[in-house]
Amino acid sequence: MKSNTSRALGTLLLSLLAFSVAAEELMITNPWVRSAPPNAPALGVFMKLSNHSSDEIAVVEVRTSLEVSHAEMHRTVMTDGVMKMIPQKQIPVAAHSSTELKPGSWHIMLMQPEQVPVMGDSVHLTLVLSDGTEQMVVATVRKGEMKMDSHSHEMKMD
Amino acid sequence: MKKKLSGFIPFLSALVLLLAGCQQELASVKTEAAFILPEEAAIDGLKLTHVSQGDFDSDSVKGKWSLFFFGYTHCPDVCPTELYRMAEMMGKIEAAAGLKMESPQVVFISLDPQRDTPELLQKYVGFYHPSFLGVTGEQSTIDRLAKSMGVYYQRVYHLNGKVLDPVSQENVPEGLENSYLVNHSAAIFLINPRGKLQAVLTPPHDPDVMIRDISSIQSAWR
Repeated sequence: MKSNTSRALGTLLLSLLAFSVAAEELMITNPWVRSAPPNAPALGVFMKLSNHSSDEIAVVEVRTSLEVSHAEMHRTVMTDGVMKMIPQKQIPVAAHSSTELKPGSWHIMLMQPEQVPVMGDSVHLTLVLSDGTEQMVVATVRKGEMKMDSHSHEMKMD
Repeated sequence: MKKKLSGFIPFLSALVLLLAGCQQELASVKTEAAFILPEEAAIDGLKLTHVSQGDFDSDSVKGKWSLFFFGYTHCPDVCPTELYRMAEMMGKIEAAAGLKMESPQVVFISLDPQRDTPELLQKYVGFYHPSFLGVTGEQSTIDRLAKSMGVYYQRVYHLNGKVLDPVSQENVPEGLENSYLVNHSAAIFLINPRGKLQAVLTPPHDPDVMIRDISSIQSAWR
């Protein structure tokens, strides 16, 4: 009985350890939801995903506690002056690299929100990764004004 | 004769300078991101509707500068980004007291009248800036307007990560009728106070660059 308990405890510890390793492998920074009109049919979610492992990791599913019809992963691409929105099955993050979810690029869309969250609200998300682990993210709603970064000439968000 | 010429030459020089000054106007304006049309272009199909103003037509763009952007409220990424940028531009124009420019009327034209009713559209657009107007109309009118301004757009349906293309309204798979995305041009169009297309602001749109370009065009325009 005692050995059973310690085995169970060991498994629990191991799984906790596995979770923390996975969490460390994919670091999520600056998660935010773009503030949107009260009748917005879709909400954009952005963040930086940094992969510290030597294997590619992909986000394969997104869930949220917010009342929405579903969440999608998208990528915006501009070709010949036309903006194309292309739904994605996953968001890949190469080994020892990062993928930035930002306006005009990779992003998560929360479709048909029952109630659009307002500035300062927190939106809870779960990212399901390609290795089967899940990672929780709390994204804050903020304004989506753009700023040009004079150093990199890239569009940056406030 | 010599005496006569000596008086004529300064007059001629002044005339040349004056003419040069006129021609200098728009053709020689150096813009950063705006493409100025060599000649203003007429717009066809401007017979749209605004929820409270009613008709939005050629009279609605006369006597003022306007910016047109084509989009739709279900637009997940590009339209909010562009609306935020134009809102930031408006904020900067309002904040800069010494700025010598006329604040443009920003008009968001729906490419998706099927889903964007005038009420929904204005509620959506007004969130970004209270002065923004959201206008819509018959699909055929919007098609004409878009064509006359060189705006490309295409309705696209996706199923299981694949683009269903081409799709006509009749053979859209059941359940996907309202799920389409609209790929579209992301340019912003500058309409002059005669109601004619004067310049195209190409993306990406930096609010400060837009202000400088619009201001340069306005001061050279007559």
